[in-house]
Amino acid sequence: MTAEANVEQVPNKFCDVLDKIILSIGHVVMWTNVILIAVIILQVVLRYGFGRGLVVLEELQWHLYAVGIMIGASYAQVLDSHIRVDIIHARLSDKWKMRWDLFGIIFLLLPFIIIIFHQSLDFVYESWRVSERSDAPMGLPARWLIKSVIPISFGMLFVATISRLVRIIASLRRA
Amino acid sequence: MEFNEYLVIAMFLTFIGFLFTGFPIAWVLGGVACIFTLVGYLSDLWFGTWTGLDYLTLGMSVNRIFKFMDNWVLVALPMFIFMGLMLDRSGIAEGLMRSMQSLFGKVRGGLAVTVTTIGIILAASTGIIGASVVLLGLLSLPAMLKQGYSKTLALGTIAGSGTLGILIPPSIMLVIMADQLGLSVGDLFMGAVLPGVILGLLYISYILIYSMIRPEVAPLDPDRKPIELRMLWDVFKHILPPAALIVAVLGSIFAGITTPTEASGVGALGATILAAVNKRLNWKVVVEVTKACFNTTAYIFAIFLGATCFALVLRSLGGDEFIERILTGIPLGPYGIMVVILIAIFMLGFFLDWIEITLIVLPLIAPVVSNLGFQIEGYGVVENPELVWFVVLIAVSLQTSFLTPPVGFALFYLKGICPPEIELVDIYKGVIPFIILQLIGLIIVILWPQLVIWLPSVAYR
Amino acid sequence: AEKKIMLKVPVCFATVLPGLGTTITYVADRIETMSGGTLRMKVYEPGKLVAPFEILGAVSSGKINAGYSTAGYWAGKIPASPFFTAVPFGPEAGEYLAWLWHGNGMKLYQEMYDSHGYNVKVLVLGIIAPETSGWFKEPVKSANDLNGLRIRFFGLGGQVMEKMGASVSLIPGGEIFPALEKKAIDATEFSMPAIDERLGFYKISKYNYYPGWHQQATVFELLINKDVWNSMSDRQKVVIEELCKAATVDAFAMTEAIQPPVMKKNVEERGVTNMYWSDDMLAKYKAAWEEVAAEQSAKDPYFKKVWDDLSAFREDYKLWQTYGFLPRPEPPNM
Ligand code: NA
Ligand code: NA
Repeated sequence: MTAEANVEQVPNKFCDVLDKIILSIGHVVMWTNVILIAVIILQVVLRYGFGRGLVVLEELQWHLYAVGIMIGASYAQVLDSHIRVDIIHARLSDKWKMRWDLFGIIFLLLPFIIIIFHQSLDFVYESWRVSERSDAPMGLPARWLIKSVIPISFGMLFVATISRLVRIIASLRRA
Repeated sequence: MEFNEYLVIAMFLTFIGFLFTGFPIAWVLGGVACIFTLVGYLSDLWFGTWTGLDYLTLGMSVNRIFKFMDNWVLVALPMFIFMGLMLDRSGIAEGLMRSMQSLFGKVRGGLAVTVTTIGIILAASTGIIGASVVLLGLLSLPAMLKQGYSKTLALGTIAGSGTLGILIPPSIMLVIMADQLGLSVGDLFMGAVLPGVILGLLYISYILIYSMIRPEVAPLDPDRKPIELRMLWDVFKHILPPAALIVAVLGSIFAGITTPTEASGVGALGATILAAVNKRLNWKVVVEVTKACFNTTAYIFAIFLGATCFALVLRSLGGDEFIERILTGIPLGPYGIMVVILIAIFMLGFFLDWIEITLIVLPLIAPVVSNLGFQIEGYGVVENPELVWFVVLIAVSLQTSFLTPPVGFALFYLKGICPPEIELVDIYKGVIPFIILQLIGLIIVILWPQLVIWLPSVAYR
Repeated sequence: AEKKIMLKVPVCFATVLPGLGTTITYVADRIETMSGGTLRMKVYEPGKLVAPFEILGAVSSGKINAGYSTAGYWAGKIPASPFFTAVPFGPEAGEYLAWLWHGNGMKLYQEMYDSHGYNVKVLVLGIIAPETSGWFKEPVKSANDLNGLRIRFFGLGGQVMEKMGASVSLIPGGEIFPALEKKAIDATEFSMPAIDERLGFYKISKYNYYPGWHQQATVFELLINKDVWNSMSDRQKVVIEELCKAATVDAFAMTEAIQPPVMKKNVEERGVTNMYWSDDMLAKYKAAWEEVAAEQSAKDPYFKKVWDDLSAFREDYKLWQTYGFLPRPEPPNM
């Protein structure tokens, strides 16, 4: 179960730009985890130091975590760190590896991304339409904002996947 | 069999088939769900079946994905991952290794015992493996080989001890299991402590006995020194920081002061402070740990994304009831069924890791286990004691999956850091005794469920 | 010929919970027979298909054709929705059903979803007897004790508790016990004694407060996607409507029957003390509720519309209520 890139990094300006955009966004979003530590500590201090927990802080915790886990999918896609079962895969030639990846991207990954992206638009719109807020009386407002992380992250995943697809096709052509 | 059930079987087979193409598991899960929604939809249209699947139904995946986002139990995941990664960079393990090595110098197999002990300590202070296996390997493999240890014993010790982290709490695997089954994270954490310690002790006993019978596999250090008080003090000095971290994290959960989520945040900060105290903390380390945490969290959650979609379609097809019927139909009584399930999980562990098994298989078998009617004493404190016990059994079985070829995380991580003359076959040979020890541990926990239930019952009395 | 329809129903409450979850099984068990095999219902336990708080959106958008829940769970989306679950210092079951079925209640209920753009048909499916108003670790001696208390509390009553100074969260049923156990919350409210018993609160919190000022009766709903509903034959619609009524009455009767043994067991075997709020505390809760109702009415026109209608109905009902019923036994002295 390894996580190495199995596509030769064929220089391709277009893909390089796409990858760079995804990685740069990731390098900003990754700090949500550090902020999350701070928020948790603040919550603990408030609770045990001042006997007062805040619902807002509790909700902020999962908001931060949610942004991190979702945006990360595209980042891991660019770094090719998604987990693979490579018992057979590892023994294949590079050419066959790329062919399988091409197949997977077209028949498995892209349908998944497009369907979730499309269906999430309606999901976010509904939330925005009724200006949905937290169910707790003192919770956070603007739930549509955090819900919109779903289409955003799947949009980014789409970009990362297209970049990979183009690279694979370019490499296969060259070979 | 109904038509839907053929679809369920076809769905599993398709999943396994695509899995071996080496395409990322997360995307295979999501993609297969999309394909079978189409199949179900067309079969309703053309053959008058009742699958009820269509494009809109599949859209429920979005609502399910949001349920992972708005989940206060799983918030602990990135925190425990951060804590583990930071701890690996903190220099704590190196200090422990140096000090304990000299203390155990006169005991045959002492170096391997040291590695196991550090493995246990690391396990109790981090929630992930992988990094721990690498760290343990980097630290101890050169030393063991230099001292003339047999390759297989050295490699097995590292792989076995390194994987304890996923069983001994804190553990992200137990967090996910608790979330999937609606159990208390605290109960699972406490429930896994004794089985984890027992495994550690089994390893140590095995190492001592084996090196006594066959001294050539574990020669003594030629430069060994007599034990002095200074050495004890040195070990104490190095054990103190991780011990403080363990107390802060596990202790506060145990004492009911914090929720596991809060404890995970405290742990992440604690590990960072330890790194700072050891003068290992700098901007570069912070950035690297943050990046690695982001990446690791992402590939774990990507599997959540695919698996939730897969589970949705599987359930729509009646996959739950189908599997429940098959399992409860096994004519072997509750213990027989349990053993069948555990063997199945052990077998699945050859090809899948704990993430997929926990996300896909566990929810399918949990209702069966709840209804098997085991009479496990919960002391009036532990909710669902039979389920807690069973989950810990599964956790032990899954821990084994890290060591079983062909797909074993620990094996790959270890191979990555071995000198070139060591082959994968050496690692395979090395882990065999440890896999057997884990199975012995599993049997012990099956025979004495109280090893699991007793600790949570006193923790929350 | 009638179209065959399979209703896939995700639910908000585990179907083992008496009155809360069993009501939907009552319908599912009978619907095929009553409809002459043209309707089937498959129930999915909480979170199996879709999470409880996601049910309304999923039914409305047609992702799933039906759902069993309670309106108050949509408070984040529709501020007036808790009126159709329970009203603090509100009607008891008889009066509630009177308003819903023979007053303007159902009209307003359906109109609420329509006017907020939800494509659903709503039917009352289940009503249960009073809930207890909370499990506390220490006796609440005065309103001061509520200040800063972290409590799980539902709906409009939750807003009242917030007014009293408590820090209120709304955690789904299955997650309450672990939260209480780990001191993430100090106290909780959930349902009636026989239901709370299954969640195990008595192990940790030994003071169980009555009366359920916040929920004298609780209403549950069956949501059906409107396009699916409109596609049904008249017979299919009648079958569903009448089954829902039967199940509602059955739920009420069952939940009235099963409380006393549990209350007794709580005290005799589990060391729980049954507490009854003092007149002073009840007056404080009531004053806080009136503030909440006034504030919300000012903020949301639909909230005001429902509140005004319900209040007018209750004003009329009072005459009957005053003369028609025998006085209740005196509450215990606390
Ligand atoms: Na651990
Ligand atoms: Na394996």
